[in-house]
Order: sequence, then structure tokens, then C-alpha cells
Amino acid sequence: MVEESQIKDNEFEALVSVVGPQNVSREPAILDTYAFQWCAEILNVTKDRPPARYFMRPIAVIMPSSTSEVQQIVGVCNKYRLKFKALSTGLGAWNCVTTPRSIHIDLRRMNKIVKIDVKNLYAVVEPYVSGAQLQAEAMKYGLNNHMPGAGPQVSPLASATSLGGPGFTSASTGYAARNVLGVEWVLPTGEVLQLGALGMKNQPDWFTGDGPGPSLRGIMRGFMGTMGGFGVFTKVATKLYPFPCKPDWKVTGESPNYNFDIPTYMQFWIINYPDWEHLENAFRRFEEEEVGFMCYYASTAAVIASFSRAREEMASQYAIHTRLKRPLTIMVTAVSEREFQYKKKVVERLLEETEGKDYTPRLKIRPVSYAEALRCLLGFHGFLVSGAFQSVFGGMDTIALAVRMAQKNIPLKKQYIAKKVIADDSGEGVWSTTYEHGQMAHCEMPTMYDATNPESITGMAEYAEKTDEMAITEHLAIPFFVQGDKQHEWFGPHCMNYHLWMRKIKEAFDPNNTADPGFYISSKKET
Amino acid sequence: MTLEPKNLADYREIMERCIRCSMCKWIPQVQIKSWKYAQVCPSIDEFNFHAYSGGGRMIVALSLLSERIGYSEEVLNIVYRCTACGACSVSCKYLNDLEPLEVIEALRRKIVEDGQGPLPAHKKYIQFVEEVHNPYGEAPAKRLDWLPSDIKVSKDAKLAYFVGCTASYRRKEIAIATARVLNKAGVEFQLLGEDEFCCGSPVMRAGADEQVKSLIKRNIDEFKARGIEKVVTSCAGCYSTMKAEYPRYYKHDIVIVHTSELLDQLIKEGKLKFTKKVPLTVTYHDPCHLGRCSEPYQEWHGQIMEPISLVKIPVPPKPLRKGTYGCYYPPRNVLKAIPGLKLVEMERIKEYAYCCGAGGGVKAAFPDFALNTAKRRTEEAKDTGAEVLISCCPFCSTNLQDALKANNIKMKYYDLSELVLMAMGD
Repeated sequence: MVEESQIKDNEFEALVSVVGPQNVSREPAILDTYAFQWCAEILNVTKDRPPARYFMRPIAVIMPSSTSEVQQIVGVCNKYRLKFKALSTGLGAWNCVTTPRSIHIDLRRMNKIVKIDVKNLYAVVEPYVSGAQLQAEAMKYGLNNHMPGAGPQVSPLASATSLGGPGFTSASTGYAARNVLGVEWVLPTGEVLQLGALGMKNQPDWFTGDGPGPSLRGIMRGFMGTMGGFGVFTKVATKLYPFPCKPDWKVTGESPNYNFDIPTYMQFWIINYPDWEHLENAFRRFEEEEVGFMCYYASTAAVIASFSRAREEMASQYAIHTRLKRPLTIMVTAVSEREFQYKKKVVERLLEETEGKDYTPRLKIRPVSYAEALRCLLGFHGFLVSGAFQSVFGGMDTIALAVRMAQKNIPLKKQYIAKKVIADDSGEGVWSTTYEHGQMAHCEMPTMYDATNPESITGMAEYAEKTDEMAITEHLAIPFFVQGDKQHEWFGPHCMNYHLWMRKIKEAFDPNNTADPGFYISSKKET
Repeated sequence: MTLEPKNLADYREIMERCIRCSMCKWIPQVQIKSWKYAQVCPSIDEFNFHAYSGGGRMIVALSLLSERIGYSEEVLNIVYRCTACGACSVSCKYLNDLEPLEVIEALRRKIVEDGQGPLPAHKKYIQFVEEVHNPYGEAPAKRLDWLPSDIKVSKDAKLAYFVGCTASYRRKEIAIATARVLNKAGVEFQLLGEDEFCCGSPVMRAGADEQVKSLIKRNIDEFKARGIEKVVTSCAGCYSTMKAEYPRYYKHDIVIVHTSELLDQLIKEGKLKFTKKVPLTVTYHDPCHLGRCSEPYQEWHGQIMEPISLVKIPVPPKPLRKGTYGCYYPPRNVLKAIPGLKLVEMERIKEYAYCCGAGGGVKAAFPDFALNTAKRRTEEAKDTGAEVLISCCPFCSTNLQDALKANNIKMKYYDLSELVLMAMGD
């Protein structure tokens, strides 16, 4: 049995009094399912623990149904000096608690779409609304939402408030932080803070996050979000966009052999470039012309995995497409024949100008891949390869830096491929997308490992640490998984001591670290 | 890989490979059409804690196996507050290859082996099955009480109508309608009467593997002794048990078909003709055990290759039960053949249909949970605008009708066989 700290009866009763006995638990069997997480095994290695799939077990899990209940729970935590960590759909080790006497606030019961404002192009959602749910409802009005690469099953609120949130449509929909408008936020003290136009005294509304009204987006989430370490976000307004093509959605057949009626004005292009220079130029040029609903560089292995239905297919296709070198993936969408023809002409002209070769006909792209593209499900195919993957790097900067990051990583990754602790993608496994048509670029290196193999986990963790070192020594921007005191204190001095400011913010809002700081930064003022 | 059910420990790697993505809580993502009907797991919908999902149960199973936790009342609740509908497995295997349903079933078997289960309500019906061969505790002599005197039964027929315990004792209208339809279509069949024993489904779902083995062997022997070559059943639970589960314990060559399949075939062969219009707008509920859970298991003999390091590939490809080949079209074909009838579909259908809530021993042990699940399903049926809810399973019938009443929904409920009988002018 796992011996960990337990919640005291009076503390537990205080939680019960908020939500009723059916919505709070201290049963080990319940708690273990919150300690088991994707990538927890890697995190354990970095903390000098065995490579177990379980991280720390919370002492209780509680499920509020309203902002008021969240406030009361936070009040209980402050009263009894408990730590808390909120999670919504909860994918990834950063959802785990990191300190003893921590409870989980599982926001599953807060699952409503509060509002879809068609005229002002935003939706207000609670934490447990998934990206696919929001999209399905937005589509009824001809609208669409940004979804993070983690997939359509995760929470837009969590991504918008607490993580980075690059996605496959980032070329046109930005990343999560760029989509957050008004926010309702329960601070670690239990007070409710309303950000953006929602904080206005007169006629509060959700339409902007940066004023009129208090503009604290940088405080609230900074670059990568606070990963549950800074309070509980209970409602958020997120931008909506016109659906990129006709919002018709017809899927037929039976799982997993679905067919999809591809909307009339929608087309994938996979364009092959011979080298990095051509790729970088093409990436920039395509985004300057703003023709892609999606525009990303995914390595050959990643392209093949994203269009494969099974590991067998992926492996056989990988062996075939050796001539696919530096593929740029463009998804062109339009709402009219005229727009579609225009964009296709632009793509054809750019193909010629950038000396690319249209590789699309050689790939087996099923119609359902179009549905998966619209629903942001292509990234999930990464799990097909070896059953587990995690990305390293993840900086946000320019296209040029993204390409340099990808190049620099290859020799390092090959060392670990040679050790057979990560899957062989020739060292080139990359996914890089621009944000907002080339204004910025994100680059991460998905790396496949085996979560049931201790050597593989340990090797993956070591490789990840080496990439962090490289990010500093080669000036490759801050990776998106810089988390917790140790890493922020490592990176901060290389980046204008941002960690000092981050800590000041934490200390101002949460001096006692009531919100679990393990994946954010801790206050040193704890009394 | 033989078909025989495996031990929980055999699933360790599968459990360790769960990424806690929560896909198991939702219908396959590309099928989501609304906020309201996006979820697929009745258990997580009712109890909310992650442990009450397919993935959550795999973690609980791993924790038990790894002795991180011990048995408790909550563990038993987690394991048995699940209808074993298999929807989690379909959603998981849309892009992944884990087996949450098989792990849940293996976990139940382990709990019984360890003397910790099943629950008292399950023990009671298992005892009834042992004593009087049905889970309701009814007298075997009453098994044919439903049989009207005008039904023609051919005792030497190669086809047996396996009525099932629920239709025999609780939903007699289904048994009557099925028998009449078969008579009208000129299909000769025999009935097993007192010699019809429970198919074993409720026993198996509770994890009582030892009891079910002897029951299965006895039933197969009985079919053979009577010269039965083909069995038709109007019960989805009996159907999936005999078709998919029996061969895991004892190989047999008896053809198992569901009424809907037989009717579909008769219509196509011109042996069953409809003479009366049925001007109804109906919606159809896919029983889990007629649909995704009826897919047979397939043996696999091969080896795991690693053409790329860490990329493990079974050669030849290992067949997985993904819900692709359930019985989805025969009932729909029959409905579409009925003159005047209009079929409107719910959002969650076929392999990603929402469970009625009755299965997996839930109706016996957790009736409130069963009813709440059926309420969700009947609300979805109501939202189609249909005036009639149709299905082909006596157990779904009971639970869905309970929910229609509890929800005060004015829809009628018919079994497919009843509707067919109407269209045949009866």
C-alpha cells in the first residue's frame, strides 16, 4: 500500500459541507486515478524517483459545481493550510499535485457553454467543456474555435488560461493565450477577480481581455500559463472565428473506418522541399500570402503518422516515403468557389516560386483525415507510434529560429535513438507551426518512447534535460515545459531574470502557496 | 493468442500504457455533433470521479495489481458501477489499441477469485441461475407460460428460438411477437422450454467465471443433443454471449443469429412481406450487446516485430474488437422495409450508441444508476421528435420503458418484432 499523508476528518468534513458527500472523496482508489498521468514517469525520473506512472497522490478530490463552491473550497484550503490544484479535462503530468497535503479540485461538474455570442465572435465556457463540444455548437452558427494540439477532448478554458496551447490551426487561430478574452478567476485567497471587459463596473461583458476593464492577462498566465498554480479559472470567454469552409459535417461508416464528406472548399497540400533553406523560405512565403487555414512543418515521420490509422500502416509507409524530405503541410479552405480558386492559384504560384514539389498525390490521405484536421485530432496520432510521446523544446519565436531549433536538435536526438531508448525518426521528428500567419512560430520535437520500459523512460528524461540545456546554450528560446522553481531559476538568469518577476507575482497573489506551485513557481514568503 | 479470457495480470502492459487522455469518456471525437450528446460512458456521467471511466478503471486495476491499494467498498463500487457496455473501448480504439472493457471484465473475475465479489445482488441472481436456471428465481415450469396456444412449434426443427430469461418471464410480448412473426414467415423452430437455461450473460458480467463455464458447456451440449444447428434469439444479451463469448470457452459450430438478422434475411429473400402500413416516426436504440459487444473474438498467432526501435508491431496484424462489425444494419433494414414508417436517428448510434443502463449487473445492484442512464437515453430519443422508441433487447426494453415513465415522456416503446408483426397485419 502507498503510505502518504491523509486528510484529517475535520478538514474532510469541511469539504463535504461545501459539495455534499457524493462529490468529495479520500478513497485511495479514487485518488490514485489522479496521480496516474501521461508523462508522470518522466517527471519522476527528473525528481530522482523510479520511473513510475504514478506521481503524487492527492489527499482528497473534490468536485464543485459553481464558482461559489470553488470559492468556498479555496476558503477551506486557506483555513486548514491545505494546498489545492484544479484540473479540468486533466491530460498531462502538470495536472498532478506536487506537495503533501494537497487536494485536487476536479472541475468536471462545471461543464456548461454559458454563451455563444455570434455577433461579437466569442464563446463563454466553463472548465469541463471540451474543444469538440464547443466546436460542434459553434458550427451551428458557422463559427469555429481554436483547439490546442493536445486534441479536441481537452478543455479550451484550461488551455486558454493555464497552458500554451499551440494547435494545428495556429496559422489562422493563434495559440491559446491569444484567444482568451474575459475571465472569471478565483484567486488563491478565494476572492473572485474578473478580467477584461468583465471587470467593468458598468455593463460588464466578456468581449475583451485587455480593457476596458482590468488588463491582467500577463499576470494571469504569462507565456505558458501557470498550470494550475495560481488559482482556479471558472469561466472564460474565448474567441470564435468564421468556420473555414462550409460547416457541413457528415461522418459515415463505423469506427475506426470512418468516411467523411470533405467540404467542397477544402484541400490538403503536402509540399516537399529538398532542404532546410527551401523549407524556411517557403514557410515564410506561404504565411505572407495567408492562404493556409493550417500551415505547419511536420517531419516525414510525423506526416505519415498523422495520416496513418495503425502502427502497421505507419511503419510500412515510413519505409516507402524516403524521398519526402522537408514537407510543408498546407490546408487551404474557402467559403466560395472564387475564394477557393484564388487560394489554389496562390498555392500553385508559390509552389513554383519556392521550388517545392507537390507530394500530396503520393500520400494516402483518407477523407476522415480532413475531419481530424478540422477537429484537431491529427496530433493524437503521435501515440500510435510507440504508445507514448512527449515533446521537447517548444519555444515561440520566429520561423528562422524554429528551423534552427529543428536542425540543432537532430544530432542530439540521434544519440538517444542509437541507444534505442526513443523511437527512430531519423532524429528529425518535428512539428512547427506559425502563429497568425507567420507573426511568430512555434517549434517542438515530438519524441516517441515506451512508457512501460524503464530504460526508455529514463533515456527520454535524460534527452529532455539535454534539450533544455541546448535551449540555453544555443539560444533556442524557452521550452514550453519549463515548470517549477528549479527550472525557472535555471532559465531565468538567461532571460532577463523573468523568474524574479514571476515569483513576485506569485507572492503578491498567493504568499502561502495555497495554489500548488509545483508546475509554476513558489512564493518564498510562506508563513 | 487463444480466445480464452485472460487474467488481470496479463493486461499489465495495456494498463500501464493508458495515457489518461479521457477519450474513453466521449464518443469518437469526429462523431461529436453537439455539447449535449458528446459523452459516451454512463458511469462517469453518473459518478464523475475519473475512477468511474474506462481509463480510470484501468488505473484502479493497476493499483490493485501493484498493491498500491487494497479492496474496499469504493473499489467494488468502481468496478461494478459499470454497465460493461464497451463504449469506452470503441472510443479508445478509434486511434489507440488499449482494452478498457477487457480489463474491467478481468478485474471482475479477479475480484470473484479473491473472494471479494460479486455484490450481494449478483450473488442472489447467480444462485437463482444455479437453482432454477434463470436470474429471476422463477420456476422452470413457467418458462413457456408466455406461449399462446396458436403458436406452431416444431420440436424437431434444426432452428431453435432461444427466448432468453427476460423475454420468457418479464417481457413476454417480445417472445410472443417473435414466435408469431416466425410462424407467419413459415420459419419452423423449436423451443427448449424447461430445458432452456440462462445463457450465462448476467453471471459472466458479474465475473463469476467458474459458474459460467459449466453453464455454457451445458447449453452447447443441450443444443447438440437436440440436433439444433442454428439458434435465433430476440435478446441482445443472449446473442452476444452465445456468439462472441461462448467460443472463448468452448468452440461450437452452432450458428447464432439475432431476430433482426433473420428478419432482414427473410425480407431480402421475399419470404417475409409487409401488408400493412405503419405510419409512425420511430427512433432506434442500438443495444450494446447486439452492436459493439457482439463482435466475435478472433484468435491471433504471430509475433511482435520491432521494425523501428520501440515501434512494436504484431505480425500478422492482431485483430482487435473495435465495434466495427456489430449488428447495426439488419434492424435498420427491417425498419426501413416497413411501409409508412419513418426512421429518425439519435445522435449517438451504432458502435457509439449510449447504453440503456441496464447491463453488466447494474440493474440488479444499482437500480437508480440504471434508471438515470436510461433517462439520459430516452431524453435523446425524445429529442429526435420520434413518437416511438424501438429496440431489440428485452433488458433494454425494461429499462428504457422504466425511464420513459419516470421522465414522463409520452413516447411508446416497441420491440422490433412487435413492429414487424404490426406490419404483417397482425
